[in-house]
Amino acid sequence: MATQPLLELKNLAIAFDTERGEIRPVQDVSLSVFTGQTLAIVGESGCGKSVTALSILRLIPSPPGKVLGGQVLFEGRDLLSLSEKQMQSVRGKDIAMIFQEPMTSLNPVFTIGEQIVEAVQLHQKVPTKKAYEIAEEALHDVGIADPSKRLFEYPHRLSGGMRQRVMIAMALSCQPKLLIADEPTTALDVTIQAQILELLRKLQRERGMSVLLITHDLGVVAENADAVAVMYASTIVEYAGVNDLFDSPQHPYTRGLFRAIPRIGHTRERLEAISGTVPSPARFPSGCKFHPRCPQMNGDPKCSADQPLLREVSPKHWAACHHIPDFDAKPVTPPTTDSRAEVVA
Amino acid sequence: MSEQPLLEVRDLKTYFPIKRGLLSKTVGWVKAVDGVSFDIQPGKTLGLVGESGCGKTTVGRSILRLIPPTSGAVRYNGEDFLAFRGEQLRRQRRKMQIIFQDPVSSLNPRMRVGNIIGEPIEVHGIARGDEKRKLVTSLLKRVGLDENDASKYPHEFSGGQRQRIGIARALSLSPDFIVCDEPVSALDVSIQSQILNLLADLRAERNIAYLFIAHNLAVVEHFSDDVAVMYLGRIVEKADARELYANPKHPYTVALLSAAPEPDPRRKRDRIVLGGEVPSPADPPGGCPFHPRCQLTRDAATQAAGNPNQPVSVNYRGSTISLRVLDYDGTTEIESGGEHFRVLTKCVKQVPPLEPKTGAPGHVAACWVTK
Repeated sequence: MATQPLLELKNLAIAFDTERGEIRPVQDVSLSVFTGQTLAIVGESGCGKSVTALSILRLIPSPPGKVLGGQVLFEGRDLLSLSEKQMQSVRGKDIAMIFQEPMTSLNPVFTIGEQIVEAVQLHQKVPTKKAYEIAEEALHDVGIADPSKRLFEYPHRLSGGMRQRVMIAMALSCQPKLLIADEPTTALDVTIQAQILELLRKLQRERGMSVLLITHDLGVVAENADAVAVMYASTIVEYAGVNDLFDSPQHPYTRGLFRAIPRIGHTRERLEAISGTVPSPARFPSGCKFHPRCPQMNGDPKCSADQPLLREVSPKHWAACHHIPDFDAKPVTPPTTDSRAEVVA
Repeated sequence: MSEQPLLEVRDLKTYFPIKRGLLSKTVGWVKAVDGVSFDIQPGKTLGLVGESGCGKTTVGRSILRLIPPTSGAVRYNGEDFLAFRGEQLRRQRRKMQIIFQDPVSSLNPRMRVGNIIGEPIEVHGIARGDEKRKLVTSLLKRVGLDENDASKYPHEFSGGQRQRIGIARALSLSPDFIVCDEPVSALDVSIQSQILNLLADLRAERNIAYLFIAHNLAVVEHFSDDVAVMYLGRIVEKADARELYANPKHPYTVALLSAAPEPDPRRKRDRIVLGGEVPSPADPPGGCPFHPRCQLTRDAATQAAGNPNQPVSVNYRGSTISLRVLDYDGTTEIESGGEHFRVLTKCVKQVPPLEPKTGAPGHVAACWVTK
């Protein structure tokens, strides 16, 4: 009965050649995004969340990057096996992407209109006049006042929030089925962030679009996500529906994250900190990559020797930790469905 | 209450000239800080929040005279710090330190950590040679680094560790006041709490007062005794931290609190999404600087138009806020974000003073409309 996911990553592994040898920022990542759903990948710097996002659109420079294995299935088709030409018709048309830095993702020497029109005409055979109409409509949809005038302005005239709206307009101008948003609000102020998050929710509702949201902010996750994948040091350590994850986080890392963030109205004398530092991809620890910082390890040799696999610790809730009760008895299943998809089906 | 404040800031103004043309003629001023006043008691923390461009960083730097203030007064233990010159200024600066946001660009990449921390100790003639090295070692240990780290270069450390180096450097002169300018914004969540705990421990141990500048409201609430909210170069609200978050009086504070995404997916809130953008400080709106984005003045205008002599109440953020009696002088139409609204004329014409509001003592806000 399960619906087919729009996007499914199966055991994706990425490597980069660096001066200090090969690093593997993404290892054995499996996840699914269903139609109309938002999946958030949350994690700290260097956990591999952005590399995962870029690899879906095959935007990893190669060399030095390479795909070691796995599949990126979009509507059942493996994007990794497409030719560069076929891939170009996927980018922007089926899958669009917006980035953290709205300052650097727009070309300063072209007008807003020229840049949107280029994207439109790449995928739709329409005359320029019609393309400008589509662009104006797109700007209107993202809440830009006076779109007919804005079309002829240059990016430097716009504020950060406006530029991010233009990026969203450009990304959505070809009605993509999936939007990958890589830290879309990190560079913005809170009041502007609230505007952009609401805009994304509204557009998603109206168009039935799917969103893969990459963020480090658990607040943003709670606001916009249906399902969440928590990444730590190249692997997914926990995967669940958003309510499940926030109600009962299972992995010690996720639990540590929740305890480490101060919340408005909950004053505490001290924050609980996760000790140690985020490991760099060049020096990942052995076994469970979180074990040097883990409060639950208690010198268990298993944690430093064996990497735990994702197991379904409760229905539709996966975690990778040796110290979950009855962990070994639980089946090893990759997270290929989720609570919301069940509801949809 | 009668305790002498460590730091008194009065009507601080810092303007930057806007220059144009061949002869760099000054054509206007950016009023980055426009009349800011506050006190900080010894060992206490004032949190300063606001969005980018509101002037919070400039306040921190102006107090330390890293940017010369245009006018106003900064008194340290009752002495006029802005009048200090030469040796007196140099001595005073030992007492006042700063920790920067970006732990990468605020450390000299060509200096070993031992020298980064040791240089101020030597320059200010506190210690040299072995004695200095001992001091550096104890500082490194205090901030959670290793003795051997003294011989390493900044690039060998992670972001959180570099911030620890920055803290050790600030501590090296035993200051009693530190400006923390977004000290954890560039750090990962799991590292932020380590640094916040370290700063809190140091405050308790050494009775250090902080001016804690940040845009993350939850972090500021957690860390501060008092909180001031800035908008376009002015403080628009100030109160005890708990009071401010529980009982905000300025509509901008309310909107800021409501905009902060909370890590709770079940919590459905009556969110206020502010329209428009923060106006440019080079061309701020007249009257109350917040009036073009303020929902409260629009609601009040709608109600007051029907019955100008009665105090009105509006439904705001899910609760009814009663408004005070205004010397009503009509409503004005304004344009904001491409739309037209009617707002109270008073909000457009006159700058509201920072005045006491109902609630805990010391709760002040600059708003014509709220009680």
